[in-house]
Amino acid sequence: MNNSPVKIWRNQPKIRSLLGKVGRIISYTTVRVPPAGFEDQAPYAVIMVNLDDDTCYTGQLVDYEKNHLHIGQKVQAILRRVKTPGKEGIIPYGVKFKPI
Amino acid sequence: MNINVLGVGTTKFGELWDVSPRTLIREAYENALTESGLDPNTLDGIFVGNMLSGILGNQENMGAFVSESIGLTGKAAVKVEGACASGGLAVHQGVLSILSGQYQAVLVVGIEKMTDHKPEEVAGALMGAGSDEERSAGLTFPGLYSLMARVHMQQYKTTEEDMAAVSVKNHYHASFNSKAQFRKEISIEDVLKSPCISDPLKLLDCSPISDGASAIILSRSGLTRKSHDTSVSIIASSASSDSLGLCGRSSLTSLSATKTAAGLAYQQAKLQPKDIDIAEVHDCFSIAEIMALEDLGFYEKGRAGSAIGSGDVTLGSSKKLVVNTSGGLKACGHPVGATGVKQVVEVVEQLRGTVGKRQLKNARIGLTHNVGGSGAVAAVHILENNQ
Repeated sequence: MNNSPVKIWRNQPKIRSLLGKVGRIISYTTVRVPPAGFEDQAPYAVIMVNLDDDTCYTGQLVDYEKNHLHIGQKVQAILRRVKTPGKEGIIPYGVKFKPI
Repeated sequence: MNINVLGVGTTKFGELWDVSPRTLIREAYENALTESGLDPNTLDGIFVGNMLSGILGNQENMGAFVSESIGLTGKAAVKVEGACASGGLAVHQGVLSILSGQYQAVLVVGIEKMTDHKPEEVAGALMGAGSDEERSAGLTFPGLYSLMARVHMQQYKTTEEDMAAVSVKNHYHASFNSKAQFRKEISIEDVLKSPCISDPLKLLDCSPISDGASAIILSRSGLTRKSHDTSVSIIASSASSDSLGLCGRSSLTSLSATKTAAGLAYQQAKLQPKDIDIAEVHDCFSIAEIMALEDLGFYEKGRAGSAIGSGDVTLGSSKKLVVNTSGGLKACGHPVGATGVKQVVEVVEQLRGTVGKRQLKNARIGLTHNVGGSGAVAAVHILENNQ
């Protein structure tokens, strides 16, 4: 699947609004067989987070130790590259989480 | 509701590299047509269950593709897409077209060709069924169901052994099905030792990537099969939907789309879960069959895992309900657009009493349950042997 530059641009405000938000892990997994565009990151942890404003968001957990990967762990939304850039040359950035 | 199933057909499911989609469609259709005894020109419409023809095969316009492939142009022909529930939703649309009074008889075909493509391309294409947020997280379908499994394990003490038992049972059933992709029996230990795909789900918890096609011919009541004693009817057909992504769900241990569709179907058929003799449910992952048996009302929440492990829904069980005699998605295979149609084929053949070694004795009422995405859509059908 391609990374439409227009779509990436249109999603910027949503990403900005999420950065810095804090919440707790409600479920987690480690993806060991990745889809196209994520091969260079696997294996990686993906978590569902209940944010403090009671909304839910799904993203990768990064900069973590094994003991952080559990339900209830406190995390914060940060900006990271999400997948391998396509032939358009634009680096797709998005929201990931780090433990706090 | 009483919609006759006049004919059914399915190809073998599996890695069919030497067979084209057109050949698969023709084989399933010709079998269903021969059984129905109908003149093909009496068919009013064609409903095609398919998900990935465009993104993987560069082929859209599947209605015309199917009508051309079977040499039956000049008919209304349309593709129905709802991810892995495309087949079940195509059956639902076929039923509705007859109930509308516009059509007398229709063909429903489910078709998917997946193994021509690289696994990461297929995994990426299937994620078209999820949300943008889930795609950006690098999630896969094993990943999404792992997120649900993790919470089910925590809330209901469901174990990896409970989940493994689903695969063991479905491989056992598939060992009797000549159309199944995997006819090899496996053990709990085989499942637990298989490579981890997305914790806690392992390779043998996951349905495979498959090719295959299935077809059924439906008609209004009144038209019946000439050369057969047993006739089977669809007596309930329902569908429901939910949020695309897991974050929008009210629960992570239950699929609301399944519960809603099942409730409607039981209401239409004036039946209860305890009346069902045989069910083909959506076991795309082992945890999905556990959740399905709970959401369809067969077991209380948290009880299905241990019941499956005890052999309660295995062929030969002393209990009433048997689940996934075809081998399910896990062992019969999961060509996504074909699956929902194949489930109806299996239940019809079981109710007719024609499946040989995997025949369930005295089956009268059957149910099919087909899910799209991680629970974003669901279709449920109930069928009855008219004798």
